[in-house]
Amino acid sequence: MDVSVLDRLKWLQQQQMVSPDFLQILGSDGREELKRVESYLGNNNDHELQSFRHFPEFGPDYDTIDGCISRTSSFQMESVKNNEDNRAIALQNKRKPEGKTEKREKKKIKAEDETESSMKDKSNMSNTETSLEIQKPDYIHVRARRGEATDRHSLAERARREKISKKMKCLQDIVPGCNKVTGKAGMLDEIINYVQSLQQQVEFLSMKLSVINPELESQIDELSAKQFQAYFTSLPEAVSKQSMMADFRSFPLHQQGSLDYSVINSYQTTKDETSSSWENQSQCLYNSLRTDSVSNFFSLK
Amino acid sequence: MERQIINKKKRVFSLEPNKNPSAVFTRKYTRHLVPALKKLNMNKNSSQTNQQTVKHEVDMALALSAQEFAWSRFLLQKLSSSKNPTTTTSSSSNRIRILERSGKEGGDEDGEIEKKLKELQKLLPGGEEMSVEEMLSEIGNYIKCLELQTIALKSIVQETT
Repeated sequence: MDVSVLDRLKWLQQQQMVSPDFLQILGSDGREELKRVESYLGNNNDHELQSFRHFPEFGPDYDTIDGCISRTSSFQMESVKNNEDNRAIALQNKRKPEGKTEKREKKKIKAEDETESSMKDKSNMSNTETSLEIQKPDYIHVRARRGEATDRHSLAERARREKISKKMKCLQDIVPGCNKVTGKAGMLDEIINYVQSLQQQVEFLSMKLSVINPELESQIDELSAKQFQAYFTSLPEAVSKQSMMADFRSFPLHQQGSLDYSVINSYQTTKDETSSSWENQSQCLYNSLRTDSVSNFFSLK
Repeated sequence: MERQIINKKKRVFSLEPNKNPSAVFTRKYTRHLVPALKKLNMNKNSSQTNQQTVKHEVDMALALSAQEFAWSRFLLQKLSSSKNPTTTTSSSSNRIRILERSGKEGGDEDGEIEKKLKELQKLLPGGEEMSVEEMLSEIGNYIKCLELQTIALKSIVQETT
């Protein structure tokens, strides 16, 4: 049917905010033009979209593509709308191909009904806001299981809860001993205890440091690679590195810490080099401390 | 002689700075802390180093070496506003309270979870100003940074004893 192509165009355009000119071209048959659209979609044509920002609210009269475009292009967030009829139609369409095992419902928005709805759904907006990671508006696909409520608020809540449980699972990897405890409450307990113990450790160590601090300066000059590594004997690689480190000479350092692996020369005496060698020691040791969970969390925002 | 040793253990070393986040953090941390401690030593030659100032330097080094995270900004604010920072560790009484609460399973579970999330928020610097989801992701990297910090401090202490 013709509607399907149109649907797809509108959906695409919603997703990536094509300017109206292009979609006018795509009036009749959009298959070939779609590719052009997709190639165009690389740019963020914000300057073109600026003109649409002051568009007035739409009534139910707007059925044209223009109305649809300008509506979605002006407000990224508000492009996601939900309508009761919309979902009903979606449900009807879905029920036929799918088996009758479970009632399923998706929070996907169909473009044809979008122009009819002039109301903004705020719960949806907040949902999409939280789910937006990139500039493109993203849909939230929430599966409603059999017998569960399917209104917007509970869906939004469920999505939020799923996010939180996802993060809890990530935390399980980081905090040791979390695997044995099940349930959110127990895990939260473990995490709280762990953070508290870490903070207490830091405080204790800093207290210790303050006691021995006067001797720090003289001691730091005598740092040797082997002593530092002996602490990390839990890492198998560190032990093997010891013999290697003693044999190599250190590279000339242009900046502090600029070298990844410059072996510490225990015969170095200048203060600058020892302080940088200190950092280099920690660097080469932390090469082996790579874990996936760490990189996950350091890239999380 | 050296060539023999090199040939036996064939490893490839890069001259690029290590981009592994743990290494980057530790590098920054030691780079901040060690000179700061030296400075403290030089400034207070006769008088003993105050434990609070050392703690202050320790926290400052932590905040400066983890500037990509939200909690470090809050920590920096706290440190710059007050010369004598409030200790980041909650008292042991908090711990006991939590354990007691976990003993009684009765009542609403969700309420308990909410309470615990709030406790967690208190532990994280700036946690109370964040949403729950944001706080959970920040807690992860805060824990990692704390771990690295303790390792660095332990090694510094061990070196000087």
